Amino acid sequence: MVEPGAARTCRRPREPERAGPPRAAMNFLRGVMGGPSAGAQPSGAETIQKLCDRVASSTLLDDRRDAVRALKSLSKKYRLEVGFQAMEHLINVLQTDRSDSEIIGYTLDTLFNIVSNDLEEEEQEENSQKQVDDLGRQFTEIFIKQQENVTLLLTFLEEFDFQVRWPGVKLLTSLLKQQGPQVQQIILVSPMGVSRLMDLLADSREVIRNDGVLLLQQLTKSNAAIQKIVAFENAFERLLDIVTDEGNSDGGIVVEDCLLLLQNLLKNNNSNQNFFKEGSYIQRMKPWFEVGDDNSGWSAQKVTNLHLMLQLVRVLVSPTNPPGATSSCQKTMFHCGLLQQLCTILMATGVPADILTETINTVSEVIRGCQINQDYFASVNAPSNPPRSAIVVLLMSMVNERQPFVLRCAVLYCFQCFLYKNQKGQGEIVSTLLPSTIDATGNSVSAGQLLCGGLFSTDSLSNWCAAVALAHALQDNATLKEQLLRVQLATSIGNPPVSLLQQCTNILSQGDKIDRRGSKVQTRVGLLMLLCTWLSDCPIAVTHFLHNSANIPFLTGQIAENLGEEEQLVQGLCALLLGICIYYNDNSLENCRKEKLKQLIEKRIGKENFIEKLGFISKHELYSRAAQKPQPSFSSPDHMMFDHEFTKLVKELEGIITKAIYKSSEEDKQEEEVKKTLEQHDNIVTHYKKVIREQDQQLEELKQKVNTLKSQNEQLQTAVTQQMSQIQQHKDQYNLLKVQLGKDNQHHTSHSNTLQMNGIQPEEISKLRQEIEELKNKHEVLQGQLREKDSVIENMKSLQSETGTNEQSSQITAGLEHGNELHRELEALRIQIQSQSLDISKLQSEKQELLQQMGLFRTTPYCWGKAKNTASVPALGDSSAVIAAKNSELEGRLLQEIKELKNDVKALSEEKALLKQHLDSVNSTVAVLQNEKSKLQQEVAESKKEQDDLLVLLADQDQKILALKNKLKELGEPVEDEDDIESGDQGDEDEEEEGEEED
Amino acid sequence: MAYAYLFKYIIIGDTGVGKSCLLLQFTDKRFQPVHDLTIGVEFGARMITIDGKQIKLQIWDTAGQESFRSITRSYYRGAAGALLVYDITRRDTFNHLTTWLEDARQHSNSNMVIMLIGNKSDLESRREVKKEEGEAFAREHGLIFMETSAKTASNVEEAFINTAKEIYEKIQEGVFDINNEANGIKIGPQHAASNATLAGNQGGQQAGGGCC
Repeated sequence: MVEPGAARTCRRPREPERAGPPRAAMNFLRGVMGGPSAGAQPSGAETIQKLCDRVASSTLLDDRRDAVRALKSLSKKYRLEVGFQAMEHLINVLQTDRSDSEIIGYTLDTLFNIVSNDLEEEEQEENSQKQVDDLGRQFTEIFIKQQENVTLLLTFLEEFDFQVRWPGVKLLTSLLKQQGPQVQQIILVSPMGVSRLMDLLADSREVIRNDGVLLLQQLTKSNAAIQKIVAFENAFERLLDIVTDEGNSDGGIVVEDCLLLLQNLLKNNNSNQNFFKEGSYIQRMKPWFEVGDDNSGWSAQKVTNLHLMLQLVRVLVSPTNPPGATSSCQKTMFHCGLLQQLCTILMATGVPADILTETINTVSEVIRGCQINQDYFASVNAPSNPPRSAIVVLLMSMVNERQPFVLRCAVLYCFQCFLYKNQKGQGEIVSTLLPSTIDATGNSVSAGQLLCGGLFSTDSLSNWCAAVALAHALQDNATLKEQLLRVQLATSIGNPPVSLLQQCTNILSQGDKIDRRGSKVQTRVGLLMLLCTWLSDCPIAVTHFLHNSANIPFLTGQIAENLGEEEQLVQGLCALLLGICIYYNDNSLENCRKEKLKQLIEKRIGKENFIEKLGFISKHELYSRAAQKPQPSFSSPDHMMFDHEFTKLVKELEGIITKAIYKSSEEDKQEEEVKKTLEQHDNIVTHYKKVIREQDQQLEELKQKVNTLKSQNEQLQTAVTQQMSQIQQHKDQYNLLKVQLGKDNQHHTSHSNTLQMNGIQPEEISKLRQEIEELKNKHEVLQGQLREKDSVIENMKSLQSETGTNEQSSQITAGLEHGNELHRELEALRIQIQSQSLDISKLQSEKQELLQQMGLFRTTPYCWGKAKNTASVPALGDSSAVIAAKNSELEGRLLQEIKELKNDVKALSEEKALLKQHLDSVNSTVAVLQNEKSKLQQEVAESKKEQDDLLVLLADQDQKILALKNKLKELGEPVEDEDDIESGDQGDEDEEEEGEEED
Repeated sequence: MAYAYLFKYIIIGDTGVGKSCLLLQFTDKRFQPVHDLTIGVEFGARMITIDGKQIKLQIWDTAGQESFRSITRSYYRGAAGALLVYDITRRDTFNHLTTWLEDARQHSNSNMVIMLIGNKSDLESRREVKKEEGEAFAREHGLIFMETSAKTASNVEEAFINTAKEIYEKIQEGVFDINNEANGIKIGPQHAASNATLAGNQGGQQAGGGCC
């Protein structure tokens, strides 16, 4: 096998002519060894040994460098020898001579030559490829045995020097090619190993950058961990930048290399795919497919690039990816216009067939199971006149036997993907076949017409493709399965129309008679798959099928026959179809009830035989291949036998049918019953569901009602609380008023009657009782008083006024006297003060005189001094001094006196104040006493008045008594003494008082 | 989608502390109770808004197992933020923090923002590490700290967003060199036009420098 990478390296003149041709090296060697020895030239091995010795022992760097250069030039021709003998020394050089980039460069080149198989491939006539592989692998193994060697190599890759970096890149790439997993592991565990290799993409020297891409290709091969690290280090960004810079698909092989690396990073790596999508890199793919309509040139490179670009899109939306991941990528592709761009390629002219095919495959996977994308695809029109839908154009290619096989497969795939989980699309396709909607004008070809044409053409491939396409239009869609039964075909003029279903079975049974291009088995397999899909899960279609009495004998005949190996598949499918007819039979046809068909199998075929034939399908080699992935891809048209979706159906039905066949009729009956009861249950359940739904509605209504009521209630409650508070306020006010009223009652007892009317409380009754009691007491007291007063009156009569009052008035007069005394004292003191102040004024005038005298004295000596000279002056001075002394004495006395007087005055005024106070208090007592006096006088006056009243009363009573006595006397009663009359008087009084109270 | 900035995060910490669950809760808003061992590294992304700006978070959830340590180390250098996670119900995961921190500090760029996370805060009854201990560790090592629950989603948003805020502030302060993508920060496409020329110039300069 030729490594694709290796082949490319050969195509490219990458390596500049740096090393001289081997011959020159030999000449050089001869020179080194001191001229040619006579005749015997040293063998390669000997020379290499000598060079190795020099590398190992020479102390001069120049020497060692020359030796390594010589080894390098020999390494291609004497690869084996150099490899075995010099490897160790070369590694030593790498470790010790790091500082000299030249020798390192030669060493790396030499090692590359030893390890790499690329160069040997050019001389394949010498060695077989296998040996070469072994050699490179062995040397690689030796080199990487010491992990440090790889780590060391990684450090050389960080060297900026071209001489070191470039051969380093190439050597590491070779090592990875030879022993990928091991070298990957070493790089992975060396710190920042992968990250450092990523820096190669940033190298401004294109050679290194491009070889860096190749290195990363090898590095990322089937190692998810490394792929993720490379992606983390912004590989997508950098690679996409390179692709853009190089002109997208018009770019050279570098673009191809970048695309291959991108594929390595994305294929089956969900994490990286997610990162690619999240990094908005899908959007950057769109310009890749902006291929102009001019198509001036489709170079081989461009075709390759575009092919890889399409594959990259497919990697992101592969049906094998997690469903969520694929669908989000699909949506992004629609929203960024990538799908639209792909569809323009689809409809463009002049696109090379393989690009077109791959584009169709790509579009298929971009729309598969994604409704918006499928809808968009259905709306795409070809730029023809009149415009035709892309689907029709593609179907035309599918049923056209002149188109390439892969293209036809691609179209089928596209059609399947369009219909996958797309009921709307299925409906649209089937509707083009239905009588009501068929375009009678015949202007345009419909998808349905094309499919029917394919179904009944003489090309088996078209038959198969059309049958499968139609099966996909019915997949999981019971309504359309029933709808399609309505389709009638006009086969030939004069004959009655035949249903599509019947036509299919007719072709199946008469297939042998029609001359066909291709395999007869293919057509029959295709039709059987269509029928199986159509009839499964559709009892009406089963009834239709059974209605034609020829069908069942045909199937049993096929199954029962002992045919060759290639017919086994058809037998298996016939068994499956018969099984479906049993399992999905609703027993509506009396002749073809379940048990009858089963009896038929038992009689004609035998249960075991039937199951065995059924098993042929899933045991088929092509079956398992088709089951792997949705895309129909067949190595040759002959292998086109199974459809992916159909394999799913087989998996589902095989077990069910086997069970159904083995089941006895009793069990069947039981099952029927169970089904019936189940149906009943279903009915009951639906009934209850309905009830529940109604109740739900009611509940909802009630809930709403409750809510409104609640809110109303709340409103009302707030109103109530408001009113309550108001009431409380009123109550409080009322209570206040009541209290006030109560007070008023106490104050104005006279009004009590009217006020008590408002509240007829027991308290008030008790109050009244109390009052009565009090009044009674008062009455008694008054009686007592009356008695006292009587006696007082007696006394009064005898004593008369003076006595009581005199005592009191004497007290007052005493107070007044005391006050008068004080007044007098005060007057005396005032007089004293006046006299003293007089004294003071006298003294002051005296003092004034003296001072005047003194002033005279003082002026006279001065005059005298002038007149009589100094003799008299001392005397005068003496006298004046005496006077002054006397003066001062006087002054002091005066002052003292004044002081004393002042003190006296002060004391006096204090006394005065005291006296005044005293006077005031006395005055107040006087006033009090006078008050008392007046009160007493009043009392006296009152008592006098009372006395007078009583006296009047007594007089009245006396008169009454007298009158009564007289009456009694008149009546003839004996009149008693005066004492008795008195007691009788008292009783009368009582009566009178009681009478008064009652008023 | 347009974004102003793109930040790269890594999530590190012992196995079984809930790193993948934190990411799943953050990106998909759901919790997966079954422990599915992460192999190597897994990627997740989400858009957030800080200061009115759209910020895209690209998050690499690493395997906690020792055997993947050499792989996960490759992710330190290019990350702008790291969530260092331990399990509050397992003391040993807390004890290993020092090792993780050393590893991170050794392999990452010095400006990387590290958020310490005590996960599984919903399992209060099984708590082995006090909140205060986590706070103290964070204070001691200059980390932001938070307790989260990937199960109840408590603080999960905050953990990711607060880390982003910290990075954003560092950008505003000019600590991060935003033109160097190796720092785990990228300017969004709306600024891309101006920055593309800038990056181009830088590349040229770098090459020129090498030749001398």
